[in-house]
Amino acid sequence: MSAVLTRRRPARGKLARHGLAKHRGPAAWLVLAALAVLTAAVLFPFALIALNAFKPPAQYSAHGPLSFPDGFSTGGVSTFWQTADFGRALWNSVLISGCVCVLAVLLSILNAYALGIGRVKGRTWILGAFLVANFLPQEGLVYPLYDMAKAAGLYDTPLAVIIIFTVIQGAFGTYLLSSVLSTFPPELLEAARMDGAGRARILWRVVVPVSMPTIGVLLVFFFIWTWNEFFLPLVFLVSNSNQTVPVALGTLQGQHIMNPLTTSGAALLGVFPTIIFFLIFQRTLTRGVTVGAVK
Amino acid sequence: MPRRKTVGLLTAGLLALSGALAACGSSGGSAASSPKVLKVWWYEGNGSAYQIAWDQAIKDFEKQHPGVTVQFSLKSFNQMQQNASMILNSSDVPDVMEYNKGDATTGLLSKQGLLTDLTSEAATYGWDKLLSPGLQVTARYSPKGVMGSGDWYGVSDYAEYLTVYYNKDMFARYGIGVPTTMAELTAAMAKFARAGITPFANAGNDYMAMQYLYEMELSQSTPAQVQNYERYTGQVNFHDAAWTNAVNTFQDWISKGYIAKDSVGLTATQAGNDFETGKSPMLMSGSWWAGTFETEIKNFSWGTFLWPGNTLNAGSGGNLFVVPKNAANKQLAYDFINDTLQPDVEKLLANNGAVPISDSTAGVTNPLNVQLIQNFQTLAKSNGLAYYPDWPTPSFYNTLLAQTQDLMNGASGSQVLSALQSNYDQYVSSLG
Repeated sequence: MSAVLTRRRPARGKLARHGLAKHRGPAAWLVLAALAVLTAAVLFPFALIALNAFKPPAQYSAHGPLSFPDGFSTGGVSTFWQTADFGRALWNSVLISGCVCVLAVLLSILNAYALGIGRVKGRTWILGAFLVANFLPQEGLVYPLYDMAKAAGLYDTPLAVIIIFTVIQGAFGTYLLSSVLSTFPPELLEAARMDGAGRARILWRVVVPVSMPTIGVLLVFFFIWTWNEFFLPLVFLVSNSNQTVPVALGTLQGQHIMNPLTTSGAALLGVFPTIIFFLIFQRTLTRGVTVGAVK
Repeated sequence: MPRRKTVGLLTAGLLALSGALAACGSSGGSAASSPKVLKVWWYEGNGSAYQIAWDQAIKDFEKQHPGVTVQFSLKSFNQMQQNASMILNSSDVPDVMEYNKGDATTGLLSKQGLLTDLTSEAATYGWDKLLSPGLQVTARYSPKGVMGSGDWYGVSDYAEYLTVYYNKDMFARYGIGVPTTMAELTAAMAKFARAGITPFANAGNDYMAMQYLYEMELSQSTPAQVQNYERYTGQVNFHDAAWTNAVNTFQDWISKGYIAKDSVGLTATQAGNDFETGKSPMLMSGSWWAGTFETEIKNFSWGTFLWPGNTLNAGSGGNLFVVPKNAANKQLAYDFINDTLQPDVEKLLANNGAVPISDSTAGVTNPLNVQLIQNFQTLAKSNGLAYYPDWPTPSFYNTLLAQTQDLMNGASGSQVLSALQSNYDQYVSSLG
């Protein structure tokens, strides 16, 4: 059953990389230089935000955003933490994104099992219908969702946002996972069936472990996408005690004026958790994947 | 195997969390305001004059109403602009909240029946005497939601207007006096430009550029034209002399470097910073900057003057305190609104760089603030308040933003005016 999976891919990869290092021609250096420039370009805004987050206000007003700080001030960060009740927002965001990524992945697995492996009739159309949830602009969905949430008594509760995003993310997950599962090696399924495994057992013991790489990626993406969602949480989470991180960041943007230092501090705090999440889970999941796959 | 266990545990943990969340979701809604709580919302940031003054109003209110606590929430401007009608349609409403004045905002909510009519309170509390007629324009809305007549739907305790901020040190260095006519201003700008300095800070990607354009238009406009433009009382022709002059002057200033061409992509925050760092000696913008400049500018002295030569000047009453239709404690809400209009609150506004509605400058210590208030009174007493350029239609802000950017990039003035005309006409005809 693990015939496909025991090929020694890592070793081949190593070999290939080794060979490349020996013959690194001018083209490779050029690519390296281009990548370095690109990395610097990507990191520059972050560096600027970090600089301004800890810049003394007097220096900012005298010399502007590009000046190098002559002192260290945590005023921007701490002002934001207090006015926006950031600890609370952080907790809300973790809760909502955490629930959504797990629930949406579960939903995607179940759907994709039926559509990708079960080969339901008209599956292309079903998948197309699912994708509408992602294609439609959220502004178009907001009024019906608002009425439904109000009728169900869920307006201004995190649960409303969790349900909505579980469905939206689950739609994309179903699409992706279905196409992955439609190329699932039939020998594996057959072998499991011959060993007497039922449908549920095949799903959880064969299909899911083998598809772990995709599922892991979905989990991380769903978490980060949900974390960054602004519009629907803004609409559905009215009370300050329910706000998520991006909505809390919004309280800094006044009608005419915003304080760039506080905003920088807030942006820094807001982006930090997703980076940490990505760094931790990306590695764990990739490693978990190989263990599960070889069994 | 152990890996799968970790993932399983994680899943179980998160599921348990979501279960707990569902439970608290159902209990959260029932905590709606009991009679002893007044829910107040506003979106003016911490440290602003408004927050300082309104905090005092909360203190005064709690003193007068023992046993009532005020539950204040700082909302985001965005949230209130995008969702006000949805929020006010639910049971989760505040008793009193700040909301933007104007047809597309408070006017729209009043038309939708989401706000409480405050007309009789305005008479009993005497708000109709505290607010001068010019300031009442933005407090009253017709059944169609058009400002300037009809019932009271909100009360403002401050005002705002566009003014020129200037760097006194730089004016002195180049031997330039405060301009009182457009000719003097033009001479001053030419002098700065010759010295390689961009006279006016500007932000094309924000509300600023359109406000320059509007001041230029107002220099040749009449009060009747302003009423037509803002209140649909008559035909508006964007190809008239005033608007044509405005686009031509604006482009002339860009070409002479009085306003930097590359400010087309800047935001208001950046333009404000250009003034604060002394990159540009002048900034024409709202009185809402005064408080910020007072705390942030330490390296030079500055002052304000009105746009020279104009009898009409952009300005109006400030944002309103409104009482939602579904508010639980309306009587307390009226009392709170009344507290925001008292002299102690007005004084705090004045001393922190906002423009109070009262004309008294007694007890105002900073001469900058005295000047700010007196300039406003000059406008108010001569009926010179001309509101803001983006008010007439809900999408006019975006239209003006795009069109002024085109103008800065060299588009033809008449094309720009045609675009404004078509957006404007489209909305007005939809009003019926």
